[in-house]
Amino acid sequence: MHFYQDPQFGNRMLTLMAAFVLVLQIAMVGQRWLITNIRIFGAQSFLLAGIANTIAYFNHAPHLYIAAFLTLALKAVLLPLLLERMVKKIDIGQEIAPLINVPLSLLVSGGLTTVGYAVAESFHRPEEATSPASLGHNTLAVAISLFLIGFYMMISRRKAFMQVLALLCLENGLFLAAISLTYGMPLIVELGIFFDLLVAVMVLGILVYRIQETFDSMDVSRLSRLRG
Amino acid sequence: MSGMVLFVILAIPLAAGALSFAARKRPAMEAINVTAFAILFLFTVALAVEVLRMGSVSVWYGFLYADSLSALVVVLTAFVALVCSIYAIGYFRHDERHQVFEEDVLGSVTIAKLRKYYTLTPLFVFAMLMVALANNLGVMWVAIEATTLTTVFLITFYGRATSLEAAWKYAMIGGVGLSLALFGTILTYYSAYPVVGTDSVAGLNWSVLVKNASQFDKASMRIAFILILLGYGTKAGIAPMHTWKPDAYSEAPVPVAAMLAAAVLNCALYGLIRFNVLAAKCLGPQFGSQLLIFFGLLSIGVAVPFVLIQRSFRRLLAYSSIDHCGIMILGLGFGGAFGALGMLLHMTFHSVTKPLLFFCAGNIQQHLKTDLFRRANGGLIYSMPVSGSMFLMGTLAVTGTAPFSIFQSEFTILRAAFERALFVPATLCVALLGAIFTGFLVHIAKLVLGADPGLPPAAVCRWKKYPLMGLGTLIVILGFWLPSPVFHLIQNAARIASGEP
Repeated sequence: MHFYQDPQFGNRMLTLMAAFVLVLQIAMVGQRWLITNIRIFGAQSFLLAGIANTIAYFNHAPHLYIAAFLTLALKAVLLPLLLERMVKKIDIGQEIAPLINVPLSLLVSGGLTTVGYAVAESFHRPEEATSPASLGHNTLAVAISLFLIGFYMMISRRKAFMQVLALLCLENGLFLAAISLTYGMPLIVELGIFFDLLVAVMVLGILVYRIQETFDSMDVSRLSRLRG
Repeated sequence: MSGMVLFVILAIPLAAGALSFAARKRPAMEAINVTAFAILFLFTVALAVEVLRMGSVSVWYGFLYADSLSALVVVLTAFVALVCSIYAIGYFRHDERHQVFEEDVLGSVTIAKLRKYYTLTPLFVFAMLMVALANNLGVMWVAIEATTLTTVFLITFYGRATSLEAAWKYAMIGGVGLSLALFGTILTYYSAYPVVGTDSVAGLNWSVLVKNASQFDKASMRIAFILILLGYGTKAGIAPMHTWKPDAYSEAPVPVAAMLAAAVLNCALYGLIRFNVLAAKCLGPQFGSQLLIFFGLLSIGVAVPFVLIQRSFRRLLAYSSIDHCGIMILGLGFGGAFGALGMLLHMTFHSVTKPLLFFCAGNIQQHLKTDLFRRANGGLIYSMPVSGSMFLMGTLAVTGTAPFSIFQSEFTILRAAFERALFVPATLCVALLGAIFTGFLVHIAKLVLGADPGLPPAAVCRWKKYPLMGLGTLIVILGFWLPSPVFHLIQNAARIASGEP
């Protein structure tokens, strides 16, 4: 048997790529530069597309190829390009000024990863060898960690732009959860989600631009005039 | 053939959006919107009649599907859209005449702004209709997300710094909330997967899931329901995820705020109801019920202090909306035959009453050029006899005073609580509602009644007056008489919402 027909090999590949996805996420927490963060997001999406392809190949789920292609085209290429152009156009300060310092943030991310693994354990169904969850049991843990760290980034970053990026990471976590639990959502839903995501980034991008124009800053802690 | 109605209902707002986008002049855009929503309303009524006759309607292999519950939400959405589009004509004409648009920091021209409103509103309505008509729970999620995306730029309509702030909070809190809901949807799919299998077309169709819900994986369904409750709860504005609501409702133009309060709320709760049925079938009614009662009471409770000390009447309406969202969730939580019925009656009456309050508040705000109580010196009844008296009547109606219909729905919800011997939540609910009634009425009475401050009589054009009078009449009529087909529709919908076959 060739190695590319061996499900064990697929499993190892998945674990490896999932590990890289997690590493990239934590690197993003530790990164101070906006452009680097966007590129890390692109790389992460590229790996996600790889994971989707691997699952599609080893589990014979052809509709996942479409999801993988869309991830590659949209999240790994188009969105990073759009976001980078936006950063250059608005000319926002490159440094992201987190509310919580980097070492502490890294510790928190480590803790959240542990939580992710603990939660994923409860979804493990070892008796069902054919279920996708048994194939990518590590993948689900990474997905939940991604989701939690995305949340953390959202509350710990002050710049409106970084919050958009955090929302995208959160969505990456969801995509990973969907493909590792059930080979992705039904195709029509997947298409809808990609469409929504694209529109959301454009809408939020315009909003960020207008906030920058109006307040001369992207610091969301300045958005505090409405109370009570 | 009957399925074509569904297709037409979705096509009308899309066409209206495209036409408004192409239109050059304001009257054309106004006419397109009002005509489209009037036709839409007729078609939704036709759908409701069809559903009453046949039980359910579906098209495209069950991709679009309407039962009594969806038909009810669709009719209410179309109704709110219609009255808002009529009111919007007078409202924006007034703004245009008083050069309100020129305050925009980015200085966009009036016609471009109006085009934005008249194009995005039909798209927004399309998204809401899609929520109710999509059978696939994933597509429903996509549609709910689309309601958020289409409204962001309606909230920033005036382009003030504060409206950007409101829109940012709305988009971010909504985005995070909906990502939780998506996770919940994924987990629901996962828990259903061993039973129904993966099907790239019909997988996740509610009508399929509900037949097999009792065999779903319990552990993941439990987490899924919690995530859905938090997610769609954020969209509906239950505490503690309600913080976007007062900002968005007070910064958006009045017709948009009315649609957010009276129509989007229904759509978010509709999503919650669908999942609640699945969860109740899978986990037994107890699990969801406790959570719903807790969050329902919390929402009503959170609204109380903010209603009592409120400074702005637009924000007051937002807290009232949080309170009503809590009441409806409470009704769903109490469950039983009366719980769901009370909730859906409440949804219907609320959708009729809330726009009236927003329109009155809009008229008063445009007259006084402020929405703060302290800048108004009372006695509005002298300068605005119609809006003032309607505001007072609407306040009595929305706080659940006896002759009005909301009293009946709240009573039905409490009856559900007593039937299950849930005395503590019922008592708490009554006490909190009493506090809200007092605070709300005192604020509005101070605003409307009192000595004549000597303001000149307001020039309220007919487009701003007739929707008020129409809705006011409707509310009075609904207090005494609910047409029996409407009641049948609500009853059938309640049967679906309470999980009966």
